[in-house]
Amino acid sequence: MSNGNKPGASLKRYAAVLRGSIMEALSFRASTFLRIAGNLIYLLIIYFLWRAIFDSSPVDTVNGMSFYDTMIYLVLAAAMFNFMDTFVVYRIGDDYQTGQIVLYLTRPIEYQPFLFFSRLGNCVISFFVTFMPTFLIVYFVTKGSIALGINLLFFVVSILLAIGVNFCIDFFVGIICFYTQSVWGVNIMKEVVVSLLSGATIPLAFFPEVFRKIVDVLPFQAIYHIPLHILTDKTMQLPDYMTSLGIQLFWLAVMLGISRLFWKGSVKGLTVNGG
Amino acid sequence: MEAIIKMADINKEFKVLKRREGIRGSIRDLFSRDYQILKAVNDVTIDIMPGEMVGYLGPNGAGKSTTIKMMTGVLEPTSGEILVNGRVPYENRTRNAQDIGVVFGQRSQLWWALPVIESFRILKEIYQISDRDFKDNLEYYDALVGASELYHKPVRQMSLGQRTLCDILAAFLHNPSIVFMDEPTIGLDVSMKSKIRELVGRLNKEKGTTIILTTHDMGDVDALCKRIVIIDKGRMIYDNDIEHLRSYFGAYRTIQIQFDRHAEDLDNEVLQQQALEVEAWLRSEFAGSESIAVSMEENWIQILINEEEVHMMDVVNCIQKQRQIADMNLQEISTERVIRKIYEGGIV
Repeated sequence: MSNGNKPGASLKRYAAVLRGSIMEALSFRASTFLRIAGNLIYLLIIYFLWRAIFDSSPVDTVNGMSFYDTMIYLVLAAAMFNFMDTFVVYRIGDDYQTGQIVLYLTRPIEYQPFLFFSRLGNCVISFFVTFMPTFLIVYFVTKGSIALGINLLFFVVSILLAIGVNFCIDFFVGIICFYTQSVWGVNIMKEVVVSLLSGATIPLAFFPEVFRKIVDVLPFQAIYHIPLHILTDKTMQLPDYMTSLGIQLFWLAVMLGISRLFWKGSVKGLTVNGG
Repeated sequence: MEAIIKMADINKEFKVLKRREGIRGSIRDLFSRDYQILKAVNDVTIDIMPGEMVGYLGPNGAGKSTTIKMMTGVLEPTSGEILVNGRVPYENRTRNAQDIGVVFGQRSQLWWALPVIESFRILKEIYQISDRDFKDNLEYYDALVGASELYHKPVRQMSLGQRTLCDILAAFLHNPSIVFMDEPTIGLDVSMKSKIRELVGRLNKEKGTTIILTTHDMGDVDALCKRIVIIDKGRMIYDNDIEHLRSYFGAYRTIQIQFDRHAEDLDNEVLQQQALEVEAWLRSEFAGSESIAVSMEENWIQILINEEEVHMMDVVNCIQKQRQIADMNLQEISTERVIRKIYEGGIV
């Protein structure tokens, strides 16, 4: 913070924003239940789709994954998608188009972290309302095919990093709306790219070799693929966990840097040429 | 006393893309580098003293918001000097933000789904308001407008008036030295308007807060502002006491007349026709006086005259000669008329 406040002051600011956003998320009960229902329908679709794919295959494991592995992966990916998608792009686009962004610029708080914490409440609530139940159902239905051990701890850390990376990508895409003057198209584009390249709709194991190599050098795998891998892959050892988290941390740093630079440049444009 | 806001020779230019017409034009626009310079604010110089309440007026698109945005540090002037609380706002946006409050009548900084007290608590942390100041202000607000009744109501369930009230209180919560208000009474009913005006007036007096009020409602100006600044097409065209403005137009009178006892039963078109006739009579009789303006309001035909040019009695006589006047009213010119005359004619 540039205004020389006592240390810890910024933290208290954002804690207050997070507290507000959790209360706000709790007040929208109906939308939470609708999301759960929508999620169930999606799960039915992927169940039948992948059932058909595996039934048409002569072997039980495709690309090293059995039908069960695939389903566990996709069900959990869907549950994660539900709490990761906090409509940040729409919020930024809306703030920009309505001019509300000016109001945020007249306050002694930075827009990017403010937005992050004002959306994080939604993640926190959705985590408990949609992800946890889904996880428990998967755990009991598959009779313990997910290990309950140190992987859970790493998974929680990994999820937090994933939320960060996802937010930075969303934030970056949101600022693109300053230039395109349209939000919907930009957001659809982002969703398609992210959900495909992050392994949210198709496990990355199914990708062709070349494609896989490209995905490996992109930040998107840090959102769904890595946390889910940490959660479900029983063969991972401590160094593997560390490597995975390291990759996420790397992408978080990179995306945070890029999105902040883009924001700084765009605000400069705003202040020079108006909104 | 040192001015709290100093603006000297401030200019603000925007670069806008020249748009062409039609689909072909739109496609060519995609690759066009054909920019046009738009002067939004032109050589504006204003000094505002601590504790002042200034009405900042001007027609739509005159450059009001642009000026306010420069004062809040959101926009950087193209040239000129600006100091707010002794700081250059666009270089110290966050620091400046700590000492100012902003109210936009059409936007809210409150959290939509939460009780308003929660928004206040978040603001308490954002502005690092001490527990004591926070408590004092809440009590003060309660004494002022009985605000505690609203504290636990979610903002989305509030009426526009209640929400505006809370937004104003929120802007004063951190005891800012300056509060910018952009049309705070827009869309409100008469009683709510007067309540908001009373509140703003008291906050200005009792807290000594400097207030810059942008509005199109002359009622706001009459009730609150001693000093007004008028800007049009980016240029400042008036900066003085409101009394001075009224005395400038002191020779202006409005004559209201009706030709029929029951004018309220007449069609609008009939009245319109009468007004046009009256205008024609006066134009031919007093060809030299530019100031005569005839208009319609409610069921009355209104004639605005400048007594330095024509005498009221001559005007009335002229009309009476043509047609029997049934009812008549004489009024001082209202602030509203004065401002409208300035916008339309640039008389000052």
